Amino acid sequence: MASRKFLTITAASTLLACLACTAVAQDKESVMKMREQTMKTMGGAMQATGKFVKNEGGTVDDVKAAAARLTEAASKDIASLFPAGSTGGESRAKPEIWTSWDVFAKQWADLKPAAAKLTEAAASGDRQQIAAAMGGVGKACGTCHDQFRAPKQ
Amino acid sequence: MGHRSLILAITLVPVALAASGPSAVAAETPPADAVRRGEYVFNAAGCLGCHTDEKGGGAPLAGGRGLATPFGTFHTPNITPDPTHGIGRWTEAQFVKAFREGEGPGGTHLFPAFPYASYTRMTDADLKDLRAYLMTRPASAQANRPHDLDPPFGWRFLLPVWKALYLDEGPLPDDPSKPAEWNRGRYLVEALGHCGECHTPRDWMGGMDQDRRFAGSSEGPEGDKIPNITPEPKAGIGGWSVGDIASFLEIGMTPDGDFVGSGMGEVIRNSTSKLTPEDRRAIAVYLKSVPAVK
Repeated sequence: MASRKFLTITAASTLLACLACTAVAQDKESVMKMREQTMKTMGGAMQATGKFVKNEGGTVDDVKAAAARLTEAASKDIASLFPAGSTGGESRAKPEIWTSWDVFAKQWADLKPAAAKLTEAAASGDRQQIAAAMGGVGKACGTCHDQFRAPKQ
Repeated sequence: MGHRSLILAITLVPVALAASGPSAVAAETPPADAVRRGEYVFNAAGCLGCHTDEKGGGAPLAGGRGLATPFGTFHTPNITPDPTHGIGRWTEAQFVKAFREGEGPGGTHLFPAFPYASYTRMTDADLKDLRAYLMTRPASAQANRPHDLDPPFGWRFLLPVWKALYLDEGPLPDDPSKPAEWNRGRYLVEALGHCGECHTPRDWMGGMDQDRRFAGSSEGPEGDKIPNITPEPKAGIGGWSVGDIASFLEIGMTPDGDFVGSGMGEVIRNSTSKLTPEDRRAIAVYLKSVPAVK
């Protein structure tokens, strides 16, 4: 009887543990997907801004909308976008992210003021100012990619 | 009398030294114009990145950066004006010869990791200005570290063979049938920017495969995958406009809004972002004209 109870408990806990690890694995996958989406949103915003700056058909309203999307993305909690060890597979996130977390988090934090400058520039409608602000955001993106993103393989 | 002449001599020596001091320096001090032009050449030629061990906190241009390649690891040399460890004692003629022929003072054959297969295309004027600028940089007494190369690539005596096969010496004359912008772009890409040194694949002997110019390589420095920059629509950057290329070279943004890091990020930071907008455009115009390779 006792051994039966023991078996049941063992089986149940094994099952639970498995469920938990699947959940963790799924969680990691979904975090990485969400993160990729956030990065794509920011890229798209910069692309739209670039179209205006390069005079390739974008309007000031496109830049305003892009700055808003960028600001929203930059407001996300970096710790939830990059939980410890969330790399591997398609992800190019370098393990250094977690060993140099403070540097990484600071670089992410630098995005917000850069995005605010773009919002300001978009409100002015001045192409030069927008180009300069776009460069500022780009610098924030590039600095972090340089240090914490592995090259495409 | 003998006494007096001794005193006179003692008095005169410092005067003579003082007189020869500034004039000797004046002979070595290049005109400000040459230094200013040389700084632009220095940026366009991207010297800083390879000759500085940024990650190790090394002094600018003091060398010591390890460049991992399929042939082994090169340790870049000190190119500050230090007379012992740098290039302070190199004459102008020796400096030009290193770029033109890949040969250092005393007839030492240089390894083509120093990209003289491209720099050989530089004009004499640019080389002299570049030297003028380098001589104004702070000297560093950092000693050079020998390369760690795999045989037979570390055998210097084989270098004349390599040169005979792959070094096409001398500047590239302008093509009068092409616009000035194209010619300027070609000079920036082929000579100063030495783009092909990474973007053109190399054969087993380390020579650039001229049939696949700018087609990219899976074995770039530090193991990076180097993209195809020919106008091929799928494999290359055929879909990029001249403006896309120019703004990429300025701020590092690809047409899809991504920002590059790693090797090209460094090239943009140290080199292409410091060029004039006209020069970035010229590069773009030239790149759009090279043969598309899949």
